[in-house]
Amino acid sequence: MIATNTIPVSSEPNTDISCRTIDPQERSMLRKVIDRIADRCRSRSLFILHYCTGCGAIELPPTITSRFDAERLGIQPMVTPRQADILLITGYLSVKTLKRVILSYEQMQAPKYVIGMGSCTINGGMYWHSYATIKRLQEYMPVDMYMAGCMPRPEAILEGFLQLIDNIDKGKATAWQEYYRNYDHYLGNQQALFGPDWHTPTDVIAEARHYKQFADNTIGEHTELLAKFASKYVTQPIPKKILTREEAAR
Amino acid sequence: MSQQLPKVLESVFREIPNLVFEQQGPRRLRVKLRSDALPALLELLKGRAGYLHLSAISCVDWPTLDEFELVYHLWSYEVKNLVSAHIYIPKTPGRYISVYDIYTPAAFFERDIHEMFGVYFEGCPDLEPFILTEWYGPPPMLKSFSTLDYVKETYKWQDYSPEWLKEIEAKGGGIVE
Repeated sequence: MIATNTIPVSSEPNTDISCRTIDPQERSMLRKVIDRIADRCRSRSLFILHYCTGCGAIELPPTITSRFDAERLGIQPMVTPRQADILLITGYLSVKTLKRVILSYEQMQAPKYVIGMGSCTINGGMYWHSYATIKRLQEYMPVDMYMAGCMPRPEAILEGFLQLIDNIDKGKATAWQEYYRNYDHYLGNQQALFGPDWHTPTDVIAEARHYKQFADNTIGEHTELLAKFASKYVTQPIPKKILTREEAAR
Repeated sequence: MSQQLPKVLESVFREIPNLVFEQQGPRRLRVKLRSDALPALLELLKGRAGYLHLSAISCVDWPTLDEFELVYHLWSYEVKNLVSAHIYIPKTPGRYISVYDIYTPAAFFERDIHEMFGVYFEGCPDLEPFILTEWYGPPPMLKSFSTLDYVKETYKWQDYSPEWLKEIEAKGGGIVE
Protein backbone atom coordinates (compact mmCIF):
# COMPACT_ATOMS: atom_id res chain seq x y z
CA MET A 1 0.00 0.00 0.00
CA ILE A 2 1.36 3.41 -0.94
CA ALA A 3 1.21 6.07 1.71
CA THR A 4 -0.69 9.09 0.40
CA ASN A 5 1.24 11.70 2.32
CA THR A 6 4.65 10.80 0.94
CA ILE A 7 6.52 13.87 -0.27
CA PRO A 8 7.83 13.10 -3.78
CA VAL A 9 11.42 14.04 -3.00
CA SER A 10 13.98 11.37 -2.52
CA SER A 11 16.19 11.70 0.52
CA GLU A 12 18.98 9.89 -1.30
CA PRO A 13 21.86 12.33 -1.34
CA ASN A 14 22.65 12.24 -5.05
CA THR A 15 19.30 12.04 -6.82
CA ASP A 16 16.40 14.39 -7.36
CA ILE A 17 12.84 14.02 -8.56
CA SER A 18 13.79 13.71 -12.22
CA CYS A 19 15.97 10.74 -11.30
CA ARG A 20 18.99 12.25 -12.96
CA THR A 21 22.10 11.27 -11.05
CA ILE A 22 23.77 14.45 -9.91
CA ASP A 23 27.47 14.73 -9.79
CA PRO A 24 28.31 15.26 -6.09
CA GLN A 25 31.01 17.75 -7.02
CA GLU A 26 28.63 19.81 -9.12
CA ARG A 27 26.00 19.79 -6.43
CA SER A 28 28.36 20.83 -3.67
CA MET A 29 29.78 23.68 -5.77
CA LEU A 30 26.33 25.09 -6.48
CA ARG A 31 25.42 24.65 -2.88
CA LYS A 32 28.49 26.50 -1.73
CA VAL A 33 27.70 29.48 -3.91
CA ILE A 34 24.08 29.61 -2.77
CA ASP A 35 25.05 29.17 0.85
CA ARG A 36 27.63 31.92 0.52
CA ILE A 37 25.03 34.36 -0.81
CA ALA A 38 22.48 33.27 1.75
CA ASP A 39 24.95 33.60 4.61
CA ARG A 40 25.90 37.07 3.45
CA CYS A 41 22.27 38.19 3.42
CA ARG A 42 21.53 36.40 6.65
CA SER A 43 24.34 38.07 8.56
CA ARG A 44 22.88 41.52 7.73
CA SER A 45 19.56 40.85 9.40
CA LEU A 46 19.65 38.98 12.67
CA PHE A 47 16.82 38.84 15.17
CA ILE A 48 17.56 38.13 18.81
CA LEU A 49 15.01 36.08 20.67
CA HIS A 50 13.60 38.35 23.35
CA TYR A 51 14.26 35.87 26.11
CA CYS A 52 16.37 36.88 29.05
CA THR A 53 17.80 34.78 31.83
CA GLY A 54 19.69 36.13 34.79
CA CYS A 55 20.98 39.64 35.27
CA GLY A 56 22.71 40.14 31.92
CA ALA A 57 19.48 41.30 30.35
CA ILE A 58 20.06 44.69 31.93
CA GLU A 59 22.83 45.38 29.41
CA LEU A 60 20.52 44.74 26.46
CA PRO A 61 18.28 47.85 26.64
CA PRO A 62 21.23 50.23 26.14
CA THR A 63 22.61 47.93 23.43
CA ILE A 64 19.38 47.91 21.50
CA THR A 65 18.13 51.44 22.11
CA SER A 66 19.45 54.72 20.75
CA ARG A 67 22.74 55.04 22.59
CA PHE A 68 24.52 52.01 21.09
CA ASP A 69 21.78 51.10 18.61
CA ALA A 70 22.36 47.50 17.61
CA GLU A 71 19.96 47.97 14.72
CA ARG A 72 22.83 49.62 12.86
CA LEU A 73 24.10 46.06 12.53
CA GLY A 74 20.66 44.78 11.58
CA ILE A 75 20.13 43.22 14.99
CA GLN A 76 16.86 43.68 16.79
CA PRO A 77 14.76 41.78 19.29
CA MET A 78 12.07 39.39 18.17
CA VAL A 79 9.34 38.04 20.39
CA THR A 80 8.83 34.54 19.01
CA PRO A 81 11.44 31.79 18.77
CA ARG A 82 10.28 30.71 15.33
CA GLN A 83 11.26 34.02 13.76
CA ALA A 84 14.45 34.53 15.75
CA ASP A 85 18.02 33.78 14.69
CA ILE A 86 20.03 34.40 17.82
CA LEU A 87 19.38 32.91 21.23
CA LEU A 88 21.16 35.06 23.76
CA ILE A 89 21.70 33.42 27.13
CA THR A 90 22.17 36.45 29.32
CA GLY A 91 23.59 35.25 32.58
CA TYR A 92 23.17 32.39 34.99
CA LEU A 93 21.05 29.49 33.87
CA SER A 94 19.26 27.46 36.48
CA VAL A 95 18.28 23.90 35.74
CA LYS A 96 14.63 24.88 35.52
CA THR A 97 15.35 27.72 33.11
CA LEU A 98 17.56 25.45 31.03
CA LYS A 99 14.50 23.32 30.29
CA ARG A 100 12.68 26.33 28.89
CA VAL A 101 15.77 27.46 26.99
CA ILE A 102 16.06 24.07 25.31
CA LEU A 103 12.36 24.17 24.39
CA SER A 104 12.85 27.64 22.87
CA TYR A 105 16.06 26.63 21.13
CA GLU A 106 14.51 23.61 19.49
CA GLN A 107 11.59 25.70 18.20
CA MET A 108 13.91 28.11 16.43
CA GLN A 109 14.40 27.58 12.72
CA ALA A 110 17.84 26.66 11.53
CA PRO A 111 20.27 28.27 11.04
CA LYS A 112 20.26 29.50 14.60
CA TYR A 113 23.03 30.91 16.70
CA VAL A 114 23.56 30.67 20.44
CA ILE A 115 25.57 33.26 22.33
CA GLY A 116 26.52 32.62 25.94
CA MET A 117 26.75 36.04 27.51
CA GLY A 118 28.45 36.63 30.82
CA SER A 119 30.74 34.52 32.96
CA CYS A 120 27.92 32.40 34.37
CA THR A 121 27.28 30.61 31.10
CA ILE A 122 31.00 29.91 30.69
CA ASN A 123 31.96 28.36 34.02
CA GLY A 124 29.17 29.18 36.45
CA GLY A 125 30.62 32.58 37.32
CA MET A 126 29.82 33.66 40.84
CA TYR A 127 27.34 30.76 41.08
CA TRP A 128 30.11 28.20 40.57
CA HIS A 129 29.17 26.22 43.68
CA SER A 130 25.40 26.56 43.39
CA TYR A 131 23.47 23.32 43.12
CA ALA A 132 20.77 24.93 40.99
CA THR A 133 22.71 26.48 38.11
CA ILE A 134 24.51 24.76 35.26
CA LYS A 135 28.22 25.39 34.78
CA ARG A 136 28.86 24.85 31.08
CA LEU A 137 26.26 25.82 28.53
CA GLN A 138 27.90 23.96 25.67
CA GLU A 139 27.05 20.61 27.24
CA TYR A 140 23.34 21.12 26.60
CA MET A 141 23.31 23.01 23.31
CA PRO A 142 26.00 24.01 20.84
CA VAL A 143 27.27 27.52 21.49
CA ASP A 144 28.61 29.76 18.74
CA MET A 145 30.24 32.29 20.94
CA TYR A 146 30.83 33.21 24.53
CA MET A 147 31.10 36.78 25.76
CA ALA A 148 33.08 36.94 28.97
CA GLY A 149 32.40 39.54 31.61
CA CYS A 150 30.21 40.05 34.63
CA MET A 151 28.40 41.71 32.92
CA PRO A 152 29.87 42.48 29.49
CA ARG A 153 29.39 46.16 28.66
CA PRO A 154 27.31 47.10 25.59
CA GLU A 155 30.59 47.78 23.75
CA ALA A 156 31.64 44.19 24.38
CA ILE A 157 28.25 42.91 23.27
CA LEU A 158 28.46 44.89 20.04
CA GLU A 159 31.99 43.57 19.52
CA GLY A 160 30.62 40.06 19.96
CA PHE A 161 27.77 40.72 17.54
CA LEU A 162 30.25 42.00 14.96
CA GLN A 163 32.34 38.88 15.42
CA LEU A 164 29.23 36.70 15.01
CA ILE A 165 28.23 38.58 11.86
CA ASP A 166 31.73 38.04 10.54
CA ASN A 167 31.56 34.33 11.37
CA ILE A 168 28.18 33.92 9.67
CA ASP A 169 29.42 35.83 6.66
CA LYS A 170 32.38 33.49 6.33
CA GLY A 171 30.22 30.43 6.92
CA LYS A 172 31.96 29.56 10.18
CA ALA A 173 28.98 29.87 12.51
CA THR A 174 27.79 26.30 12.05
CA ALA A 175 27.27 25.27 15.66
CA TRP A 176 23.55 24.62 15.03
CA GLN A 177 24.52 21.68 12.80
CA GLU A 178 26.28 20.13 15.76
CA TYR A 179 22.99 19.81 17.60
CA TYR A 180 21.57 17.65 14.84
CA ARG A 181 24.75 15.68 14.27
CA ASN A 182 25.38 14.99 17.96
CA TYR A 183 21.81 15.05 19.21
CA ASP A 184 22.38 11.86 21.19
CA HIS A 185 25.23 13.48 23.11
CA TYR A 186 23.28 16.64 23.95
CA LEU A 187 20.16 14.67 24.83
CA GLY A 188 22.26 12.48 27.12
CA ASN A 189 23.53 15.50 29.01
CA GLN A 190 19.99 16.85 29.27
CA GLN A 191 18.70 13.52 30.54
CA ALA A 192 21.44 13.45 33.17
CA LEU A 193 19.88 16.60 34.63
CA PHE A 194 16.18 16.16 33.95
CA GLY A 195 15.86 12.42 34.30
CA PRO A 196 15.23 9.68 31.71
CA ASP A 197 11.68 10.91 30.99
CA TRP A 198 12.89 14.17 29.48
CA HIS A 199 11.50 14.84 26.01
CA THR A 200 10.51 17.87 23.97
CA PRO A 201 7.66 18.30 21.51
CA THR A 202 10.14 19.05 18.74
CA ASP A 203 11.03 16.11 16.52
CA VAL A 204 14.75 16.78 16.34
CA ILE A 205 15.59 13.54 14.55
CA ALA A 206 13.17 14.35 11.71
CA GLU A 207 14.56 17.89 11.59
CA ALA A 208 18.06 16.51 11.32
CA ARG A 209 16.95 14.58 8.23
CA HIS A 210 15.20 17.64 6.87
CA TYR A 211 18.34 19.76 7.19
CA LYS A 212 20.44 16.86 5.87
CA GLN A 213 22.45 16.80 9.07
CA PHE A 214 21.64 13.23 10.02
CA ALA A 215 24.86 11.66 11.22
CA ASP A 216 26.09 8.71 13.22
CA ASN A 217 25.59 10.41 16.55
CA THR A 218 22.13 11.77 15.85
CA ILE A 219 20.60 8.63 17.31
CA GLY A 220 22.01 6.40 19.97
CA GLU A 221 21.34 4.99 23.39
CA HIS A 222 19.84 8.22 24.71
CA THR A 223 17.43 8.79 21.84
CA GLU A 224 16.18 5.23 22.27
CA LEU A 225 14.57 6.38 25.51
CA LEU A 226 12.40 8.73 23.44
CA ALA A 227 10.62 5.75 21.86
CA LYS A 228 7.90 5.63 24.48
CA PHE A 229 6.95 9.25 23.72
CA ALA A 230 6.81 8.77 19.95
CA SER A 231 3.42 9.22 18.30
CA LYS A 232 2.08 9.43 14.80
CA TYR A 233 3.31 13.03 14.69
CA VAL A 234 6.75 12.33 16.09
CA THR A 235 9.36 10.11 14.53
CA GLN A 236 9.79 6.73 16.02
CA PRO A 237 13.46 6.69 17.02
CA ILE A 238 15.30 3.97 15.20
CA PRO A 239 17.56 1.66 17.21
CA LYS A 240 21.08 2.40 16.12
CA LYS A 241 22.54 -1.09 16.31
CA ILE A 242 20.21 -2.69 13.79
CA LEU A 243 20.29 -0.13 10.98
CA THR A 244 23.25 1.36 9.23
CA ARG A 245 23.53 5.07 8.61
CA GLU A 246 22.28 4.88 5.02
CA GLU A 247 19.26 2.88 6.02
CA ALA A 248 18.51 5.13 8.95
CA ALA A 249 18.73 8.26 6.80
CA ARG A 250 15.93 6.85 4.68
CA MET B 1 11.07 43.64 81.34
CA SER B 2 7.50 44.16 80.33
CA GLN B 3 7.07 47.89 80.64
CA GLN B 4 5.88 48.53 77.05
CA LEU B 5 4.13 45.18 76.70
CA PRO B 6 0.54 45.69 75.49
CA LYS B 7 -2.04 44.50 77.98
CA VAL B 8 -3.63 42.01 75.58
CA LEU B 9 -0.29 40.31 75.10
CA GLU B 10 0.29 40.10 78.81
CA SER B 11 -2.94 38.21 79.35
CA VAL B 12 -2.14 35.88 76.43
CA PHE B 13 1.37 35.11 77.60
CA ARG B 14 0.15 34.34 81.10
CA GLU B 15 -1.93 31.47 79.76
CA ILE B 16 0.98 29.64 78.10
CA PRO B 17 3.23 27.70 80.47
CA ASN B 18 7.03 27.83 80.13
CA LEU B 19 6.91 30.89 77.91
CA VAL B 20 9.92 33.22 77.86
CA PHE B 21 9.78 36.52 76.05
CA GLU B 22 12.22 39.27 75.39
CA GLN B 23 11.68 42.80 74.12
CA GLN B 24 14.11 43.21 71.24
CA GLY B 25 13.09 46.65 70.14
CA PRO B 26 10.15 49.03 70.26
CA ARG B 27 8.21 46.86 67.81
CA ARG B 28 9.82 43.44 68.14
CA LEU B 29 9.11 40.74 70.65
CA ARG B 30 10.99 37.45 70.77
CA VAL B 31 9.01 34.62 72.33
CA LYS B 32 10.37 31.18 73.15
CA LEU B 33 8.03 28.38 74.09
CA ARG B 34 7.55 24.63 74.04
CA SER B 35 6.62 23.25 70.64
CA ASP B 36 3.34 21.66 71.76
CA ALA B 37 2.10 25.02 73.06
CA LEU B 38 2.55 26.90 69.78
CA PRO B 39 -0.90 26.26 68.22
CA ALA B 40 -2.51 27.48 71.46
CA LEU B 41 -0.39 30.62 71.40
CA LEU B 42 -1.27 31.35 67.76
CA GLU B 43 -4.95 30.76 68.46
CA LEU B 44 -4.85 33.17 71.37
CA LEU B 45 -2.81 35.77 69.53
CA LYS B 46 -5.19 35.73 66.59
CA GLY B 47 -8.41 35.52 68.55
CA ARG B 48 -7.69 37.73 71.51
CA ALA B 49 -4.80 40.04 70.64
CA GLY B 50 -5.56 40.83 66.98
CA TYR B 51 -2.42 39.36 65.44
CA LEU B 52 -4.05 38.70 62.10
CA HIS B 53 -1.02 38.50 59.87
CA LEU B 54 1.32 35.51 59.81
CA SER B 55 4.03 37.17 57.76
CA ALA B 56 6.45 34.24 57.57
CA ILE B 57 7.58 30.96 59.01
CA SER B 58 11.33 30.51 59.02
CA CYS B 59 13.30 27.39 59.68
CA VAL B 60 16.86 27.23 60.98
CA ASP B 61 19.00 24.13 60.77
CA TRP B 62 21.54 24.51 63.56
CA PRO B 63 24.49 22.26 62.70
CA THR B 64 25.45 21.77 66.36
CA LEU B 65 21.95 21.01 67.62
CA ASP B 66 19.79 17.99 66.98
CA GLU B 67 16.78 20.22 66.45
CA PHE B 68 15.24 22.47 63.85
CA GLU B 69 14.28 25.92 65.00
CA LEU B 70 10.95 27.14 63.62
CA VAL B 71 10.14 30.82 63.89
CA TYR B 72 6.58 32.10 63.38
CA HIS B 73 6.47 35.82 62.66
CA LEU B 74 3.15 37.45 63.56
CA TRP B 75 2.23 41.05 62.95
CA SER B 76 -0.56 43.06 64.52
CA TYR B 77 -2.01 45.98 62.59
CA GLU B 78 -3.59 47.32 65.77
CA VAL B 79 -0.68 47.53 68.19
CA LYS B 80 1.86 47.54 65.34
CA ASN B 81 4.06 44.93 66.92
CA LEU B 82 5.88 41.86 65.60
CA VAL B 83 5.90 38.70 67.69
CA SER B 84 8.44 36.06 66.69
CA ALA B 85 7.60 32.73 68.29
CA HIS B 86 10.58 30.37 68.43
CA ILE B 87 10.13 26.63 68.91
CA TYR B 88 12.48 23.69 68.56
CA ILE B 89 11.48 20.36 67.03
CA PRO B 90 13.70 17.27 66.85
CA LYS B 91 15.39 16.61 63.50
CA THR B 92 14.27 13.01 63.54
CA PRO B 93 11.58 12.36 62.57
CA GLY B 94 11.20 16.05 61.71
CA ARG B 95 7.42 16.25 61.98
CA TYR B 96 5.27 19.05 63.26
CA ILE B 97 1.64 20.16 63.18
CA SER B 98 0.41 22.43 60.46
CA VAL B 99 -1.14 25.72 61.58
CA TYR B 100 -3.07 25.97 58.32
CA ASP B 101 -6.37 25.85 60.22
CA ILE B 102 -5.43 28.98 62.18
CA TYR B 103 -3.56 30.95 59.51
CA THR B 104 -4.32 29.93 55.89
CA PRO B 105 -1.09 31.42 54.45
CA ALA B 106 0.85 28.97 56.61
CA ALA B 107 0.21 26.27 53.99
CA PHE B 108 2.51 28.04 51.59
CA PHE B 109 5.31 28.60 54.09
CA GLU B 110 5.10 25.03 55.30
CA ARG B 111 5.29 23.75 51.77
CA ASP B 112 8.45 25.78 51.28
CA ILE B 113 10.04 24.51 54.50
CA HIS B 114 9.11 20.94 53.62
CA GLU B 115 10.83 21.38 50.29
CA MET B 116 13.98 23.03 51.60
CA PHE B 117 14.44 21.29 54.96
CA GLY B 118 12.35 18.14 54.71
CA VAL B 119 10.17 18.94 57.72
CA TYR B 120 6.80 17.23 57.41
CA PHE B 121 3.77 19.24 58.53
CA GLU B 122 0.78 17.16 59.50
CA GLY B 123 -2.45 18.60 58.15
CA CYS B 124 -0.87 20.81 55.53
CA PRO B 125 -3.09 20.69 52.42
CA ASP B 126 -0.27 20.59 49.85
CA LEU B 127 3.35 19.56 50.31
CA GLU B 128 4.19 19.10 46.65
CA PRO B 129 7.51 20.52 45.34
CA PHE B 130 7.14 24.16 44.45
CA ILE B 131 10.45 25.61 43.26
CA LEU B 132 12.56 22.46 43.06
CA THR B 133 10.48 20.62 40.50
CA GLU B 134 13.59 19.24 38.78
CA TRP B 135 15.25 18.21 41.99
CA TYR B 136 16.02 14.63 42.96
CA GLY B 137 18.55 15.23 45.72
CA PRO B 138 18.13 15.77 49.46
CA PRO B 139 16.56 18.98 50.81
CA PRO B 140 19.18 21.50 49.73
CA MET B 141 19.02 23.95 52.64
CA LEU B 142 20.09 21.36 55.18
CA LYS B 143 23.53 22.01 56.64
CA SER B 144 24.39 18.36 56.10
CA PHE B 145 23.93 18.84 52.34
CA SER B 146 27.23 19.82 50.77
CA THR B 147 26.55 22.03 47.78
CA LEU B 148 30.11 21.80 46.53
CA ASP B 149 30.14 18.00 46.59
CA TYR B 150 26.84 17.93 44.73
CA VAL B 151 28.18 20.34 42.10
CA LYS B 152 31.35 18.31 41.70
CA GLU B 153 29.50 15.11 40.98
CA THR B 154 26.68 16.62 38.91
CA TYR B 155 28.41 19.15 36.68
CA LYS B 156 31.70 19.29 34.86
CA TRP B 157 34.00 22.26 35.13
CA GLN B 158 34.86 24.35 32.13
CA ASP B 159 38.24 23.69 30.54
CA TYR B 160 40.67 26.47 31.10
CA SER B 161 42.65 27.37 28.01
CA PRO B 162 44.98 30.33 28.30
CA GLU B 163 45.35 30.23 24.50
CA TRP B 164 42.10 32.15 24.26
CA LEU B 165 43.67 35.00 26.13
CA LYS B 166 46.68 34.94 23.82
CA GLU B 167 44.37 35.18 20.82
CA ILE B 168 42.57 38.12 22.37
CA GLU B 169 45.87 39.81 23.26
CA ALA B 170 47.09 39.36 19.70
CA LYS B 171 44.08 41.41 18.59
CA GLY B 172 44.92 44.18 21.04
CA GLY B 173 42.60 43.16 23.87
CA GLY B 174 43.30 41.48 27.18
CA ILE B 175 42.88 41.81 30.89
CA VAL B 176 42.59 45.36 32.20
CA GLU B 177 44.92 46.00 35.12
